[in-house]
Amino acid sequence: MDSFLSIVEQSALSQFLRDNPWFWPTSEILHFIGLALLVGVIGTFDMRMLGLGKAVDIGSLHALIPWGVLGFAVNLITGTLFFVCLPRAYIGNPVFLAKMGFIALAGANVLLFYVTGVFRRVKELKPGEDAPPPAKLIAASSLVLWIVVMFCGRLMPFFAE
Amino acid sequence: MDLLVSIESTALGVWVRQSPSLLAFPTILALHTVGLAFLVGVSATIDLRVLGFGSRKRPASMASMEAYYPIMWVGFWINAASGVLLTIAFATVRLTDPFFYLKLVFIALAVVAVYLIRNRLRDPSLDEISMVPTRLLALASLVCWTGAIVTGRLLAYFGG
Repeated sequence: MDSFLSIVEQSALSQFLRDNPWFWPTSEILHFIGLALLVGVIGTFDMRMLGLGKAVDIGSLHALIPWGVLGFAVNLITGTLFFVCLPRAYIGNPVFLAKMGFIALAGANVLLFYVTGVFRRVKELKPGEDAPPPAKLIAASSLVLWIVVMFCGRLMPFFAE
Repeated sequence: MDLLVSIESTALGVWVRQSPSLLAFPTILALHTVGLAFLVGVSATIDLRVLGFGSRKRPASMASMEAYYPIMWVGFWINAASGVLLTIAFATVRLTDPFFYLKLVFIALAVVAVYLIRNRLRDPSLDEISMVPTRLLALASLVCWTGAIVTGRLLAYFGG
């Protein structure tokens, strides 16, 4: 682990990021835009499954999911760059590890949604129709997990060594 | 300037800024981020639909998106409250920073756009032609929210 951190830390990219005063503010702006897109698009779809806005055609909300995925991709890239810039600060931070754990759970939740057939039942919903209980459970988990992920992200600096 | 110092020196200002409790500054910041995600995120989702992404459905079918407006307002009020607390705690820095006022202007414009979009989506006679100004409002909303996020981040970096 220590040698891995050293390799990351001494990489040209890491040094470049540390030497560039614009890297951190620019990437954080993108990270915030990414989180708004991710939580907004995925969260609205989740809320529809939970029964809010049942009149909304759920297919039209699901069709926006690629925008949520785009938000996640932006945050995965900027987040990886933050880590590459200061790997030891992140690895030593328990809240960072918790954040990664919750993101993994959110990912598992998405997988569950698509591979267990829940999505197939949700896809068939017409405007006005309620989602089945398993879909509601997945939707509620998704909302809670992303809120917890945001909390961890914001609390991280206060747990830095 | 004395006024700003006295705002910052209130018990509330001192608590937010200096309390070692995680419930003070850290939680207020976290709430400000969660509020942002739901306010800007849901607004952006509606904007994307108005701009025609996601479906080729008739514009009239979009009136039902109004169900998510209360969620936006919850996000808005969480951020208004947490924002006021953060402003009190750092009054001398924030209230003298032009970026702070620019951020407020972006938020005000975005909220106006959000209202106007809702009123237009409510109109049952909405068609492809009257959808054009609605789409411009959606674009304006996306630009203003982005502006609010950018100025908000710059405040944290270059403020005082």
